[in-house]
Amino acid sequence: MVKDITIYTTNTCVYCVMVKKWLGSKNISYNEVNLDVNPERAQEPVDLTGQLAVPVTVVTKSDDSKEVIVGYNLAKLAPAVA
Amino acid sequence: MKKNDLIIIGAGPTALTAAIYTTREDIDTVLIEKGAIGGLIATTDWVDNYPGFVDGISGLDMADRFQKQAERFGAVIELDEVLGIEPIDELISVTTTSGERFAKAVLIATGSDYKKLGIPGEDTYYARGVHYCATCDGAFYRGKKLVVTGGGNSAVQEALFLTKFATHIDLLVRSTLKASDVLLHELEKNDKITVHLGVTTDEIIGDETRVHKVIGTDATTKKKVEFETDGIFVFIGLKPTAEFLRSTGIEFDSIGFIKTDENLRTKIKGVFAAGDVRSGATMQVASACGEGATAALRIREYLEGHSQQAA
Ligand SMILES: Cc1cc2nc3c(=O)[nH]c(=O)nc-3n(C[C@H](O)[C@H](O)[C@H](O)COP(=O)(O)OP(=O)(O)OC[C@H]3O[C@@H](n4cnc5c(N)ncnc54)[C@H](O)[C@@H]3O)c2cc1C
Repeated sequence: MVKDITIYTTNTCVYCVMVKKWLGSKNISYNEVNLDVNPERAQEPVDLTGQLAVPVTVVTKSDDSKEVIVGYNLAKLAPAVA
Repeated sequence: MKKNDLIIIGAGPTALTAAIYTTREDIDTVLIEKGAIGGLIATTDWVDNYPGFVDGISGLDMADRFQKQAERFGAVIELDEVLGIEPIDELISVTTTSGERFAKAVLIATGSDYKKLGIPGEDTYYARGVHYCATCDGAFYRGKKLVVTGGGNSAVQEALFLTKFATHIDLLVRSTLKASDVLLHELEKNDKITVHLGVTTDEIIGDETRVHKVIGTDATTKKKVEFETDGIFVFIGLKPTAEFLRSTGIEFDSIGFIKTDENLRTKIKGVFAAGDVRSGATMQVASACGEGATAALRIREYLEGHSQQAA
């Protein structure tokens, strides 16, 4: 079971828009951390993934385990939120 | 059996324009998109040369408008990847990651994708200092130094965009700049970008986690040149997204673009191709939209013939 989803995004990143559109189409709610609005949090997705890329989607399960998905990757995102 | 009048592969400007036309004619149309709705233009910061937008428009905004207009008339966009097509009797079978479906006609509007340099370090540092999308990853370079490689419109436009974040950019151009005069003028005015003409990009060096420098060769002196940097953005042109159709009987040109006749028909009956993926395309949004409209009209004619045959 999914407890919580957080997506790190920026204003201009189209793949961030796609992750949000895809979750929206499945009626799945999420929290968004926009790094253009919150630049002080820019290191968080880097620490989670080791990559300098957004979107980063963090899916927290009910047992508090986390799955971190970089990019718009439905092959990983779909099973993670199922 | 899932069956539509028309399946469009892709949801870029070509596909969305075609869908506006076909759905207004009550042709039941499904678009299948594996990446970003809006296609490549959704990844660019600003579009200044599309008619009707006097002051220009952001790529994301343009993509959103195209999508809304197509959906207003009933186009359905499915987020999935097409793996192959095959003619079966009078229908075309379309295989996606979620199964097989059928259509009376198919429009291939899969556009193109960024070319890679193919140099040491490029894969090692992918997304950890090596990038292909400025609007996606540029924000990580606030206050940092960058290298941009390429000399065409995309490279110059994206380098200019990246100056919003980076303190300095070395633009490495293998031969000469081939961007439009408007962009060259912008480039000249921008004191954050240093242009290096006749410099190849040969190797990306880092410490396993981050990029530290890019090594190139000066074509005139034949000497190695080094650029200290925090990252590199690569814009050296595009390659057609059509490899997945190689074994279908469709004809390709020597680069891999799909060949069509003047009615945008491929060698497979009922399968059309338009936009950036088509051999001879001019790789602009306005022309992609034009080809999308033309394809839609030709597909309508084809479907009229199709239903007469079936009757
Ligand atoms: C950085 C940059 C800046 C640009 N700036 C401008 C500009 O200012 N003005 C201008 O006129 N043009 C510009 N262009 C060019 C413009 O983006 C393209 O000409 C236009 O997007 C082509 O549209 P298209 O629909 O043919 O292809 P694309 O936009 O490439 O769309 C094709 C779509 O098909 C999808 N697809 C591919 N394969 C599959 C598959 N197997 N299954 C499902 N979906 C698939 C892709 O994910 C993609 O979304 C720019 C391009 C770039 C790269």
